Amino acid sequence: METKLLKSSDIATLFDNLIKSGKVVIAPVAKKSGKVFFEQVVSYDQIETDYIQTQFSAKSVVFPKVEELFTYKKTEEGIEIKDTLSQIPETVVWGLRPCDSSAFDYISEFFLKENPDAYFAKRKELTTLITISCAEADDACFCTSVDLNPGSTAGSDILLTKMGGEYYVEVVSEKGKAIIENSANLFVDSPIKSKDEFLAKLKTQFSLEEIKEKIKTAYDNAQWKHESMGCYGCGACAFACPTCTCFDIQDESNGDEGSRKRCWDACGLSLFTKHNSGHNPRKNQTERRRQRLMHKFKYSVENLGIVSCVGCGRCIRVCPAHLNIFENILNVTKE
Amino acid sequence: MSIKNTYIPYQMRIAKITEEAPLVRTYRLEFVNPEEAKQFSFKAGQFAEYGILGEGESTFCIASSPTREGYIECTFRSSGRVTKALASCELNDVITLRGPYGNTFPIEEWYGKDIVFITGGIGLPPLRCVIWNLLDQRDKFGKISIYYGARTTKDLVYKYELEEWQDRGDIDLFVTVDPGGEIPEWKGHVGFVPTILEQNAPSSTNAIAIVAGPPILIKMSMPILAKNGFANDKIYTTLENRMKCGVGKCGHCTVGKTYVCKDGPVFTYEEVLKMPAEY
Repeated sequence: METKLLKSSDIATLFDNLIKSGKVVIAPVAKKSGKVFFEQVVSYDQIETDYIQTQFSAKSVVFPKVEELFTYKKTEEGIEIKDTLSQIPETVVWGLRPCDSSAFDYISEFFLKENPDAYFAKRKELTTLITISCAEADDACFCTSVDLNPGSTAGSDILLTKMGGEYYVEVVSEKGKAIIENSANLFVDSPIKSKDEFLAKLKTQFSLEEIKEKIKTAYDNAQWKHESMGCYGCGACAFACPTCTCFDIQDESNGDEGSRKRCWDACGLSLFTKHNSGHNPRKNQTERRRQRLMHKFKYSVENLGIVSCVGCGRCIRVCPAHLNIFENILNVTKE
Repeated sequence: MSIKNTYIPYQMRIAKITEEAPLVRTYRLEFVNPEEAKQFSFKAGQFAEYGILGEGESTFCIASSPTREGYIECTFRSSGRVTKALASCELNDVITLRGPYGNTFPIEEWYGKDIVFITGGIGLPPLRCVIWNLLDQRDKFGKISIYYGARTTKDLVYKYELEEWQDRGDIDLFVTVDPGGEIPEWKGHVGFVPTILEQNAPSSTNAIAIVAGPPILIKMSMPILAKNGFANDKIYTTLENRMKCGVGKCGHCTVGKTYVCKDGPVFTYEEVLKMPAEY
């Protein structure tokens, strides 16, 4: 992996070069509420640099909240159906955190390994991730508990780590290399450096190996009821989550034209599994909360060999009932 | 990139409509594009996503046998937004279809065996596909028996085929209606399917049982099959969890780590017992 240095004063120039390249650039933008969201931007002035975590993850770039699968038009001659793949733009995501980029590794494995998804594949192919290491963390952050850290390069194309007056640049992929080459005059070569002193310090909440082992037999643990008692079934955790991939498919019509869309869904919602007969396989909130957590720490390990939680802490921050995923996991894996 | 876009549906013309029972219809569907018809193939047990543009998609099995080429059939009950829209279609209307999806019944492994079908209500359509598949190569199988019931005589589906099966003489057919669901002219059995099954006690020697239908029918039939000596890996069922995508992505049909749509919908009872009871 190539390593470089970039002066802090040159970061806006690098950013402008990205904008000039004609790609869609998605970056953190602060709202009046103080919350930070990923949005399309056109200049460096728009972006927020002081944030621990964005409200939503960057997964919407490759798996949009609402995605048009095709449009249709009914005419005298018949029905015309057109897919939307050609409308997917080249995109750069700027300033996502290492937990979010590593989530891209998981969702790529999920969407592409078996029955590959054409829309996701196209979006992923056209997306470059420029990640910025975390110098700060909050109480909800727990990436070190899921074998990541505030300076992980997993999933990123470029990782920037602020070290005083300059950024230490890790060029992780070919896509990352292309970005660097496009602004070659801004970078100087650097030896490999230790990032540790510039990274946030986090408390490790549990041993992942131990959790992975214990959760294998946790399905019938009596604690699930207590741990899910507060859950309203609002689904906010799934919408905020960078690894949740569930979706619904719905049509939208406007007379003889319309489209079929997929939109985010959540296993915590009571209708998610409900049959038309009224029968509901996961009939109460305890079963639905258990599904969510068992999927993250057991089922995705069994299916893909990956824990599908990256410790970003968003589900903890957004939960109106103050449920805490790492506390829940610890409690349901006690003897 | 050459990834197949599974969400782009086929267009299918409704070539035949059969009113089966109150709110239950069968459509025979033919491909609008004959080229697609040539490329399309499926096996017994698979399902598809049937859609009405502007309303959405609904999941049902393919109810016709792969041995009957040139069309597929589906049988559905009108109950939600999409199925209501489907039910309002007329002959020659065009609907969308995606599939086939899911695994299949291992019919080749059953050559030479006795086959027992146990089902109720609109649990028959997924088994009808298998039944015709077997009947179209009748000499390859031993005794075939079918236990089928509905709440009332009106609710029995494929009435014309039940008569045909009765008349063939190479099927032991037990058609029953729930007590109180019979009419004076009814000549079939009266009683719940598991009761009729228990009375007739099919032999498990060199036999396979296939059970589909309402959860209560499955639950009550399993102990009777066990009593008759059917091992759990000789009993097959098809799970019908809610589905949206059909390819193991949308998450709706998961039971533990299992995606009913891509790992199933056909499972042995032995496999079902290993799953959490979320089906």
